[in-house]
Amino acid sequence: MIRAVNHPAGILGTGGAFLFVIFIGLPVVALLVRAAQQSNFLGAVTSDAALTALRLSLITSVISMAVVVLLGTPFAYLLARSESLWARVVDSLVELPLILPPVVAGVAMLMAFGRNGLIGPALENVGITIPFTTTAVVFAQIFVASPFFIRSTKLGFQAVPKDYEDIAQTLGVSPWRTFFRVTLPLAGPAMFTGLGLAWARALSEFGATMMFAGNLTGETQTMPLAIMSAMETSLDGALALSVMLLAGSILVLVLLGLLTRRRWQSR
Amino acid sequence: MTVQLAQRSTANGWVQCRLGSFNLETEWEVDPGEILVLFGPSGAGKSSILRAIGGLLRPVAGHVEVGGRVVYDSQAQIWVLTHERRLGYVTQQYHLFPHLTVAGNIAFGLRDRNSSAGKQRVTELSSLFQLEGLADRYPWELSGGQQQRVALARALASEPAMLLLDEPFASLDAELRRTLRREIKAMLTQSPVPVMLVTHDREEALALGDSVQVIDEGRTLVTGDPLEVLGQPGQRRVAQLLGVENLFDLIVQERNPRDGTMSCTGPGLQLEVPLDAHISGSSAPEGQQDRVTVAIRASDIILAKEDLAGSSARNRLSGRVISIESRPPGYAVTLDCGQPMRCHITGAALEEMGIETGQQLWAVFKASSCFLVKGG
Repeated sequence: MIRAVNHPAGILGTGGAFLFVIFIGLPVVALLVRAAQQSNFLGAVTSDAALTALRLSLITSVISMAVVVLLGTPFAYLLARSESLWARVVDSLVELPLILPPVVAGVAMLMAFGRNGLIGPALENVGITIPFTTTAVVFAQIFVASPFFIRSTKLGFQAVPKDYEDIAQTLGVSPWRTFFRVTLPLAGPAMFTGLGLAWARALSEFGATMMFAGNLTGETQTMPLAIMSAMETSLDGALALSVMLLAGSILVLVLLGLLTRRRWQSR
Repeated sequence: MTVQLAQRSTANGWVQCRLGSFNLETEWEVDPGEILVLFGPSGAGKSSILRAIGGLLRPVAGHVEVGGRVVYDSQAQIWVLTHERRLGYVTQQYHLFPHLTVAGNIAFGLRDRNSSAGKQRVTELSSLFQLEGLADRYPWELSGGQQQRVALARALASEPAMLLLDEPFASLDAELRRTLRREIKAMLTQSPVPVMLVTHDREEALALGDSVQVIDEGRTLVTGDPLEVLGQPGQRRVAQLLGVENLFDLIVQERNPRDGTMSCTGPGLQLEVPLDAHISGSSAPEGQQDRVTVAIRASDIILAKEDLAGSSARNRLSGRVISIESRPPGYAVTLDCGQPMRCHITGAALEEMGIETGQQLWAVFKASSCFLVKGG
């Protein structure tokens, strides 16, 4: 344990912690204070525009997370257990969205699925239009948020020794059941952590959505886009939406934090 | 109360596996209720044999029978998946599922674990392995010995047709090891199942093995009765693996069939050793020397300050002390008797005799303490 009095990192660390708490805490507090000073906060929060954006954000992010978890979990398992060169290549490709600016991601998706994109016309021929629809919102969220879940889940699976799976199978439990009875519960905390980060990222997604899905009320205008639109007319509306989004994000983190807590521990 | 086992069949087979730097090639046969010990240094391929039997490692060729059923045959292209082989597999690290309680771990392989019969079985096994009152504990709340008992109970719960134990007691202290060995023996008399046990501990092999198979670099050097194989090993490599400290390459000078001994010499050394029975009478072809390798355990040698002339011991060699090393629980003293000779003595003996480096001492041992080993 590092003691603040006799270790330089202790002094610097304490100072750093103090500054960071102020730096991150102050804007959040300011947001809440300004929102509280507002005369018609409740009215702004329950306004049609706000509720429409909130509903869209919730629905799209739940769908994105469902897709990410259902497809990302087996994928992450494969990445964790495979030692081939291909797995490593795919592994780094999956993390590309983490460093790619969301706006660029939006443009790129437009180039792929857009009217004049690579496969956009082919999709249109069979009656599927993606850009500037609610589907595009989900696409954008999956694109930017999936690495958070996949990476964390992969690390979670890697931390489960293969021996547990071997032992389970010698005990007469099929590989499929072993996955659900041993591997998944042991990787659970890491998965929930990843899901929390991915969800928060999906809720806050702005750039790619703006580019690829547009800003249509009720169809593609999620909370972050609604905040930007509101800023143009009234600060009050933007404040109310911001507080709602903040509360939503914190709620997601707290709920998943509770799920991450485990009764067992490994020492 | 007994642990029921559906079938009481011999487990046998052979496998060839490619393992890193060498090929594993071995065969085995274990009767129900018997323990076959796979003995050898780490990295010899012992664990791989268990993993091949368990279907956790795919051999190049082979034939494996468990519980009277062929679970692998390279020619007939039979490959039964691990979970259908009906095995109990216990490892050195136990690998108890950390997210499950003791009861949850024991019941893991039971199909009817939520029924009253399943719960009854968990209770039975808990009491057999003295785990009463621990049902709701998590693995990290248990001692090493308790964890290993849970691992054994878990392996037995689903009535395996064979038990594979991979250094199951290696992480436990000596006292606990002895206790668990007794428990395993007791359990086996109650519920006879073929057991293969991997160890590199000679004491454990002697205590548990009904037979022992010495494995080195993927090959079986010798199979047989533990006392015979591990007591006076007939092969140089086995003797080395068992830590027999003194090995001398000598030339036979004279055979004395009357005494059952022969006299052998090497550079600076003359020893009386047991007659090589199997080749007695036949002497080496004309012009060739009659070479033998003689082994003596360091613990079979007596150190004396004076020549024990007039004693029955056939071998009395004088030499200077080259080195004294601590070798718990005692000491290893090396004499230069023409060739270095290691002797084990207790700390008390070292102190009483006041042994120091450079001192002249006598190494005394019976001809019958020497044994001949084969192999260069």
